Amino acid sequence: MENNHPIVEKIRSAYPQVAESIKVQRENRIWMKIDYADFRKFLEFAASDLKTGIFCMLTGLDDKENFSFIYHMADLNGIMLNIETSVPKTNASIATVTDMFPAAELQERELTDLLGVAIEGLPEGQRYPLPDNWPDGEYPLRKDWDESRLEKNPLKEKAEDCNV
Amino acid sequence: MILSLIKILIFPGFLFVFVLALAAEYADRKLYARMQTRIGPPWFQPFADFVKLLSKELIIPELADRTIFRILPLVACAAVAAAFLFIPVYNPESLFSFKGNIVAVIYILTIPTLTYFLAGWYSRSLYSLIGSMRVLTQMFSYEVPLLMAVLAPGILASSWTFSEVIAFYGSKGSLFCINVISFVVAVIAVQGKLEKVPFDIPEAETEIVAGTFTEYTGPLYAYFKLAMNIQTVSAAALLAAVFMPFGYNLGFILGIIIFLLKIFLIIVILAVVRTIFARIRMDQMVMFCWKYLTPLALLQILINIIIKAAAAQ
Amino acid sequence: MSKKLVIPIGPQHPALKEPASFDVTLQGEKVENILVKLGYNHRGIEKACESKPYLHDLYLIERVCGICSHSHATCFLQAVEEIAGLNIPMRAKYIRSLIGEMERIHSHLLWLGVAAHEIGFDTLLMYTWRDREIIMDLLALLTGNRVNYAVNVLGGVRKDISEEEKGQILKAMDVLEERTKYYAHVTTEEITIKKRLSKVGYLSPEDAVKMGAVGPTGRASKIKRDIRAEDKYAAYGEVDFKVVSDDNCDVYGRALVRVGELMEAYSIIRQLIKKLPDTPLKVPAPLKIPAGEAISRYEAPRGEDVHYVRANGTDKPERVKLRAPTLANVQAVSTMLKKGYLADVTIVIAAIDPCFSCTDRMIIAVDGKSEMTWKQLREHSINWYKKNRGVDFTKVKLGMKE
Repeated sequence: MENNHPIVEKIRSAYPQVAESIKVQRENRIWMKIDYADFRKFLEFAASDLKTGIFCMLTGLDDKENFSFIYHMADLNGIMLNIETSVPKTNASIATVTDMFPAAELQERELTDLLGVAIEGLPEGQRYPLPDNWPDGEYPLRKDWDESRLEKNPLKEKAEDCNV
Repeated sequence: MILSLIKILIFPGFLFVFVLALAAEYADRKLYARMQTRIGPPWFQPFADFVKLLSKELIIPELADRTIFRILPLVACAAVAAAFLFIPVYNPESLFSFKGNIVAVIYILTIPTLTYFLAGWYSRSLYSLIGSMRVLTQMFSYEVPLLMAVLAPGILASSWTFSEVIAFYGSKGSLFCINVISFVVAVIAVQGKLEKVPFDIPEAETEIVAGTFTEYTGPLYAYFKLAMNIQTVSAAALLAAVFMPFGYNLGFILGIIIFLLKIFLIIVILAVVRTIFARIRMDQMVMFCWKYLTPLALLQILINIIIKAAAAQ
Repeated sequence: MSKKLVIPIGPQHPALKEPASFDVTLQGEKVENILVKLGYNHRGIEKACESKPYLHDLYLIERVCGICSHSHATCFLQAVEEIAGLNIPMRAKYIRSLIGEMERIHSHLLWLGVAAHEIGFDTLLMYTWRDREIIMDLLALLTGNRVNYAVNVLGGVRKDISEEEKGQILKAMDVLEERTKYYAHVTTEEITIKKRLSKVGYLSPEDAVKMGAVGPTGRASKIKRDIRAEDKYAAYGEVDFKVVSDDNCDVYGRALVRVGELMEAYSIIRQLIKKLPDTPLKVPAPLKIPAGEAISRYEAPRGEDVHYVRANGTDKPERVKLRAPTLANVQAVSTMLKKGYLADVTIVIAAIDPCFSCTDRMIIAVDGKSEMTWKQLREHSINWYKKNRGVDFTKVKLGMKE
């Protein structure tokens, strides 16, 4: 699409390795994938050079072997850049982006609670959104999780056990 | 002996005050509701509420001081009802008259405010604690202008006794209109004393639940509510006697009617103020009382002193 | 006062209509710190969506929130329709926008009342909520429901708007416009409102971007962002409206923006009614949605609503993720409350128009242990009263079948 070209061109010239994955779905919607190793630098590039500096949403996905994360970034003119990256489940840990986008805090906590992804560098704080007495090691948004698991690993009953 | 007992217990004493207080609450609620395009309660609602609260379970917080927690509502009720006995109703003489009883009434009317503070303090609850702090802070801001405003008419009359103030203005035609500034100040300050919008800061529902009364339930809360209603009536009667000193020598029936009309007028004013304003913040309240109300009350006193000096010459 | 007080506002508090917890650390009457805890309304909607067909998800998503039900449903459908490549007829788009704007009106009027209540101005609450009934009745007339309108279906809308209904809408708009002008007058002229709202909950434009404030909260801080203008979804590309913003950056600004948006909404609805094109209401939609992904944005009354849907070729989505506007705005609350007063806490919280059930979503009640049947609950209460109060309620008969 015409009006997205400047951004796509910029990405292509700065990060030729991701050129393959760029997909312009329709006006104002750009999708792309990037290796986690390059991700952080790209995010800074997107925020400063591409001007897509508004953090909208962080989606966590359970992709069988990997955990994928889509960072939905917007700019002031309605363009939405969706940056997908992934880490293997065996090493489910990503670095926080709250130093750049404080708005990401709750959504990163959500990843910890619901997918069991460790977020490095996220300051200590209240858990979100599961209840305090939720059993350890149960991550409801994983594909292999269902309600029956709570029968084996029920909600905690004592207040002392809860991690607030 | 029996006659004075009847006077204390029935008319114009406690029973009359009780009925008048409930009627005042009804008038206030109904007016407030009608001005908000609601229908409002039926006439017996305040009484029904009172009876219902009396029959409710009483819960006292574990950490609260049980004796004081129980005594305070009764102290508040007794104080406001006692204050009413000193205010003239249909004749210039109040039930118990002595020199300087205007000052005495103002002081007795301060007691319930102190019990609200103590009630919050001894409830040992966070919301009550903050509420009681606010009660005290608020008292320090409205009490001074209220005192000055209520005493100002007495300066012209050279007396702070109800009967003498009434007699003085009664002989001077429409001279009482001169006190209109202090009347306005007094009405606003009374709004603060009664803890109603815009000065309902100590019990701001959306901030600190019910302020000092958060932990009060059942009968004890009923007494507190009754105390507040009697306080409304007593304060209105006080303002009526001091600022509208007419119609006291017209006999029993006419006297009562005029008295009730005056009370009703003041309740209407209070209800209108309640309807058209939002609650202000503590710091704004303190600022307002000291910056506007106190100078205005001082101005009234100054005017009265000048007039008195001019008349003496 | 040297000792610090920590005042819990929530999870249950008269100022909050929904459970959320704000622990306010006080120094005297001043706020020193605020700790936000959310998650009390977590119902598992995202997980539940993965196990249900799209058709059911639509109704589930609608129940994410009581006030902006149409927003969430439309936002979700837009994503699904984009994946399926459905071309929605214009009339359907118009009707979606129309209901969306009416929802905005009812939400903003509700907010105005709630905000007035928070600052102890109950008269305004009674007035606005009375007028809100007009729009609620209108919504009931058009869709059959006061909330959860369920007017959307995959591929269009389910209900048309007749000529007679058009007239009723226009008539209601005139009444509401008149009333809103009065409220605009009240909020700008009434002195105690101004005193309580201005300079309260200040959020600088820089902080607004950093904390991700959206919708009226952001627009009151000079951020002129409105998804209706940026993305031109539904029929918003075909109507004229201006993005209302304000440079007060405080609660007062947020109130002005909402009142301004009310006026815009009336004008948008009039234009939509006037231009309503004559096309079919819906296109046939497949049950199985081809694999793909889409992101959809929607300007809900409270701000930008974002839905992400990934489809895997079956009739159930692979992943549904949604971000309600409150999630973006609530993080700015602690910034707004720095150095504020306790009295301001509730109005500042209310000023972002929080909707915690939108925010939290997720987790279906599944655990057998803490869930009680009616009988168990009754037994428990009888035992409790016997033990703690010495009252025996065993003989009390219930007015229903056991």
